[in-house]
Amino acid sequence: MNVAKVYGDAVRRRIPDRPERAGELIRTGLHLESFRCAHFADRRMPKAYRFLNSKAVGVVGDALSHPESYAWTNIFAPAELMQTFGLTCVSMECLASYLSGFWLEDCFIDRAEDVGIASTLCSYHKNFIGAVEAGVIPKPALGVTTSMVCDGNVNTFRYMKRRFGVESCVLDIPQEWSPEGERYVVEQLRGLIGVLEHRTGRKYDEDALREAIRRENRSKEYFRDALRRRVTHSYPNTLTLVLFLLLATHLNIGSQWVLDFFRMLDEEIETYPPATGKRLFWIHITPYSQPTLQSYLNYNDRYAVVCDDFNLDYMEHMDEEHPLEALARKMICNIYNGPFERKAEACAAYAKEFRCDAAVEFCHWGCKQSAGGAMLLKEKMRQTGIPMLILDGDALDRRNNHDGQIRTRFEAFLEVVGGEKGEAG
Amino acid sequence: MIGYVCKYTPVEVLRAMGADPVLLEPSVTDFNLADTLLHPNICSYAKSVLEEFAGKNYEGVVLTSCCDSIRRLYDTLRARYRQKFIWLLDVPRHDSEAAAQLNAGQIRRMAEAYAAFSGKTFSEDALREILLCHAGDFRPGAEISSTRNLRVALMGNRCGSGLRNLLADCGAQVVADLTCAGEERSFHLPGEGEDLLAGYAGQLLRQVPCLRMADDTAREERIGLITAQADGVIYHTVKFCDIYSYEYAVLRDRLKIPVLKVETDTTRQCEGQIRTRVEAFLESLAAAKGLRPIRPAAGKRGEKHMTVVGIDSGSTSTNAVVMNEKKEILASGSIRTGAKTSASAEKILADVLRQAGLPRENVDLIVSTGYGRVSIPFADRSVTEISCHGKGARYFDPQVRTILDIGGQDSKAIRLSEAGEVEDFVMNDKCAAGTGRFLEAMARTLELEISELGPTALKSTEAVEISSMCTVFAESEVISLIARNQEKADIANGVHRAIAGKAYSLLSRVGPEPEFMMTGGVARNPGVVRAVEEKLGAKLFLCEDPEIVGAVGAALYGLESLEA
Repeated sequence: MNVAKVYGDAVRRRIPDRPERAGELIRTGLHLESFRCAHFADRRMPKAYRFLNSKAVGVVGDALSHPESYAWTNIFAPAELMQTFGLTCVSMECLASYLSGFWLEDCFIDRAEDVGIASTLCSYHKNFIGAVEAGVIPKPALGVTTSMVCDGNVNTFRYMKRRFGVESCVLDIPQEWSPEGERYVVEQLRGLIGVLEHRTGRKYDEDALREAIRRENRSKEYFRDALRRRVTHSYPNTLTLVLFLLLATHLNIGSQWVLDFFRMLDEEIETYPPATGKRLFWIHITPYSQPTLQSYLNYNDRYAVVCDDFNLDYMEHMDEEHPLEALARKMICNIYNGPFERKAEACAAYAKEFRCDAAVEFCHWGCKQSAGGAMLLKEKMRQTGIPMLILDGDALDRRNNHDGQIRTRFEAFLEVVGGEKGEAG
Repeated sequence: MIGYVCKYTPVEVLRAMGADPVLLEPSVTDFNLADTLLHPNICSYAKSVLEEFAGKNYEGVVLTSCCDSIRRLYDTLRARYRQKFIWLLDVPRHDSEAAAQLNAGQIRRMAEAYAAFSGKTFSEDALREILLCHAGDFRPGAEISSTRNLRVALMGNRCGSGLRNLLADCGAQVVADLTCAGEERSFHLPGEGEDLLAGYAGQLLRQVPCLRMADDTAREERIGLITAQADGVIYHTVKFCDIYSYEYAVLRDRLKIPVLKVETDTTRQCEGQIRTRVEAFLESLAAAKGLRPIRPAAGKRGEKHMTVVGIDSGSTSTNAVVMNEKKEILASGSIRTGAKTSASAEKILADVLRQAGLPRENVDLIVSTGYGRVSIPFADRSVTEISCHGKGARYFDPQVRTILDIGGQDSKAIRLSEAGEVEDFVMNDKCAAGTGRFLEAMARTLELEISELGPTALKSTEAVEISSMCTVFAESEVISLIARNQEKADIANGVHRAIAGKAYSLLSRVGPEPEFMMTGGVARNPGVVRAVEEKLGAKLFLCEDPEIVGAVGAALYGLESLEA
């Protein structure tokens, strides 16, 4: 029996007539899951990941239970700044993933398409829009998005403002760094600070922001160090954990718990046995619920996703003495921002640094920025000598994938990559 | 010749440098190269620009950071055409003073790079002269003629000349064109003491904002003005460009005038496919406004005894009805549409006239409808199948407000007003999911005759989910269910419930009102009917011969035009 699906069905039954009750059940489900992860997690899951899993689910459950203290954001929004105002960033991608964890994405995606949203739009956005339309997600204090990387952000947030009156701030991020571009972003950050002061009644505390950035720098040092240790040590993970990691590297970065997690991760890897099997570099989102990929990549010694580009999209040291400038630079110089060449080079460099045998790019349905550059990325990887597989699919909508097609491609790729013949874990 | 795609391009600066900027509005036949270099799932317009650029001799292209697809187009063109001038302007999304300064810097860098590429130089005097003398590019949407009386506003994503020509053919006047680069370019000379380029760069940013911009308040105001002058809005979107669907979703609820959404993929083939929708929309606007039909009939008028023939030329079957002045059906028939539309129409006409015992010369008017309606040379006039289904449905049941028509290759939902006029409709085509073709494919996989599929499903005892939205995927799912020894009846029922889900989604988009009627060949399948009724929570009215409803509607239109 799939407990999440059974629970999700109970939520689903209440959506049409009692959406608030469905929302309550979702929050309760998240709290239960957080408790389960902390105390009864899969025994194969390392301690650091148990901690991450429990926190990642718990903070979202808490945020939804206290909507006045959370903000809808995209994954690149300046979480460090938001934290200093006591606001938790919950990205719409994150909410969409969690709803899919309850097997509810189909009804919300259909709902969004029924109101006129394009069926070709990214299913994360559709799922989020459908859930808000259905009334199961409480309105936040405000919305904050950046213009970078994804077309959907500016429009999804505007839609939320139009339809549901959720006030949203858009940070416009230039494609390339320049002194005037950085000043342009800093000016917008100051504007955002004004909005946050007004919304929360708190004063901007630059020292608190400096402290958050200091924790962020230390977190990333631990993270990089952990990835280097991972070259020589095995360390079990799952596709879902790669996604949960985004809550540490992005939405909660700068917080104490994230620093604690990365320290734990770095220390724990050292205690695991020597590394074996093929090492994969994942590009873009992991389709955590895809059965074939789950069977090959979750807790499997033979094949593992050792790192991915999303969690490594900005690893530079940040200047804590000039925190707003540092945040501006972080967004502008993100490897996902700007010309695709920047990202292709960064992917090739990371894959080499962390000794990956092969790379997989998952072209998620509706994500034009990723699909449109797939061939350029493949060429870059070819030059680097790293075989790369382009997999088309939907990371969220289970109906929009065909397991047989993914299986054939993935198994053939594993045969190309070499080693033992494809074998699921 | 240098291509550009976006209204935020500093076209006037390029002109001032002696370049020949051309707005790219390609109409292509395939995406063979683009699907290889980019990806099939990115915006069709970006793909068509790549095809156009590869096929013609442009010295370069100036793109903007307007959307993800265009940014990736830039990356791809730059990697492939190193000898050409491939430039991306990073246009700010705000229109503040700082944004204008940033934009001016971007334009300066572009001008320097183009000067280095072409040897042509930029001078402020030349730009000043252009801003002084040049009223701007004159776009088709700006043309207003007072003699025509059906007024539509074009909105949404860029549309090529195909849609504009179609509207002109139908006699509709485009009162405003708020598509991507549709509005007139109009800039004034910045005031004395103001930096010329910064002033111009600021004006570029302050055009009526497109949906990439952060603040679209000015756009809302403009839409308010436009829609006050129009009878309806044609909202155009491009396949795999999702940005405009957000606005459509908001406007279709908010606007007080009818909105039709049409989607194209910039290929020539697509123009034919949207014709039905646009014509039907204009028919409903004309009806609501009390205007005469746009296309005059050429039949014999005012005669006491009348005989009309309605022919519905669908993708799968061609159906015909002979009707007299008392609206009595004298004969009806249905045959499979062969490879040649006009030959099937000719044959069914001969069949029904034989049945009715009437010679051809006794027929006063022939009205065609359906996908092949324009390919029937002997028809006196044609009306879209949307309007005909509306009219035909009310003939069988005057209470019907919502019609679900599932045909061989498309499916549609139509909502009628209390008076029986078409108020809203949506169509699903280009995709076999939820159509008769889908059922045929599933029946084949289950080794059943198509007529057996429905009765088989009624024997189902266990719910089986066919979750895939795509016919090809669904077929694989059915095969794997067969491999798991799942009962045929349960699989067939799962297939029908999948169709019902799709149908329900179509119905939801028109805002369904009871009573409901189902038409089209698929209405003969009791399994689908049951599944739709369960999903809808209401009974469907069915007529004895659900294929002929469109042809009946066509015949009724024929009678009306003879009586007029």
